[in-house]
Amino acid sequence: MYALVDCNNFFVSCERVFQPQLEGRAVVVLSNNDGCVVARSNESKAMGIKMGTPFFKVKHFVDNGALEVRSSNYALYGDLSHRVMSILAEAVPQIEIYSIDEAYLHLDGIPMDKVPELCRGLVEKVRMWVGIPVSIGVAPTKTLAKIASHFAKTYKGYKGVCLIDTETKMYKALELTPIEDVWGVGRKLAPKMKEKGITSALDFVNRPREWVRANFNLPGIRTWEELQGRACIEDEREERRKSICTSRSFADMISDEEELSLRVSDFAAKCACKLREEGSAAYDVTTFLYTNRFREDLKQYFPSATIRLQVPANSTQEIVGTALKAFRMMYRPEYMYKKAGVIVSNIVPSDAVQASLFDDNEELRSKQERLSRVMDAVNSAGNSLLRLAAQRPGHYSDGIRSEHRSRLYSTSMDDIIEVH
Amino acid sequence: MEEKENVLPGMAQDGIHAGFPSPATDYMTQAIDLNKELVKHPAATFYGRVVGDSMIDAGVEEGDILVIDRSLEPQNGNMAVCFIDGEFTLKHIHIDGSSLTLVPANPKYPEIKVEEGMDFKMWGVVTYVIKKVR
Repeated sequence: MYALVDCNNFFVSCERVFQPQLEGRAVVVLSNNDGCVVARSNESKAMGIKMGTPFFKVKHFVDNGALEVRSSNYALYGDLSHRVMSILAEAVPQIEIYSIDEAYLHLDGIPMDKVPELCRGLVEKVRMWVGIPVSIGVAPTKTLAKIASHFAKTYKGYKGVCLIDTETKMYKALELTPIEDVWGVGRKLAPKMKEKGITSALDFVNRPREWVRANFNLPGIRTWEELQGRACIEDEREERRKSICTSRSFADMISDEEELSLRVSDFAAKCACKLREEGSAAYDVTTFLYTNRFREDLKQYFPSATIRLQVPANSTQEIVGTALKAFRMMYRPEYMYKKAGVIVSNIVPSDAVQASLFDDNEELRSKQERLSRVMDAVNSAGNSLLRLAAQRPGHYSDGIRSEHRSRLYSTSMDDIIEVH
Repeated sequence: MEEKENVLPGMAQDGIHAGFPSPATDYMTQAIDLNKELVKHPAATFYGRVVGDSMIDAGVEEGDILVIDRSLEPQNGNMAVCFIDGEFTLKHIHIDGSSLTLVPANPKYPEIKVEEGMDFKMWGVVTYVIKKVR
């Protein structure tokens, strides 16, 4: 079983944590340079404001007081995302962080009758601890979990948690889901589907397997299987993508955070170096930890956390930084660890890497690449002579227009809330 | 999946020494880390700065830094950060059955009884007040 945890209107919710007066008001968050709308509250959605609308088209609502606007404040969103993800990572054995506001929890090993309670507890905990509302969809496949989370978000009656755990619920959900809302269909395939008379997910599932294969090839079959509760996205991806794993068992068990993070950095640096050697880059960085399973007298803990990058990376800085971020999410001081490792996966050729829409670190990235090449050249002479100092997330907003940016409430001492 | 067992490049634990090892090595432990002492729930902890004198009799002055832990269930007598009438306010909370009163520590300010329908939010419980004394 998978649980997709999705933060509701994440950027807007982040703003509301520190500006509760925005609660119940129509709010939009703008892209870099205050260009267009990238996040909306339910109230601004109801006003008909669409994703990607240029700001000048809705500015009159702001001027007459009907709409609140904020520039994007990625330092704030990043910090709150990290807090949410670390709460989730502690609750389940395995987490895949899919984006800044979404994560898949792997529920294997958790009894099904405990799942609703676990999920409701998480919704409540994240809301209380961080102030962010989340919706959780639980289902046997990722594609169905995504649909379930949409129901959890849309219908108040679910109180944030929707389970698709029986065939009846599954068919009902498929019937109510427009085909373009299905994960993996998207805007590209939807018109072709509709041309062939498919409007709901149920219409698609009702077509015979051979027809799906003939018209939509393998990706179509995969979606068709996933929608019927047969998980195949994970398996298929495992086959297609290669991954590189660097791990090691320790001679003595380690509990100290500093020491473990040094080891994790080393493993990650090795993975990054290997990626550059073969001219590839990775989307996913996983860090895992094992306690000693043969020591039955000790408490056991086998966590892993995966972080998906917006742009595939192979620089030492980025891979190490991401691996450490994953590590800090799940590290708990009360355990004795016997083994740790880093896996980079979802690998693509590095010349095929394209900057994504929200990736504004182009310049930084090319600097990192140059530095990595220098490090490789020096290190190839012998044993890892050049190492990185501690990784810190940078702040690259210089020169970017952000007239409506809120303060760095949780990451800068000068910007903390004022309490009267 | 390619499994690659690495040999960690030799890193000297405490630098490279010639001569006798330092006798202090055996006694090395982590220095006190205030973050660990004062922040029990990092994911739920935020900070605030005090403005004004409404809690002066409780020793809380303008400029003090508040450590706010949102994971804690507010209890009678706690000092808490609340959001009311468009601003954050610091008060003692008095819980009596289902009624909630915000009590300042300065006779100049009135108590506020929280009523149904008020624009009110309990934001977080204060666990420490950090004060600069010179």
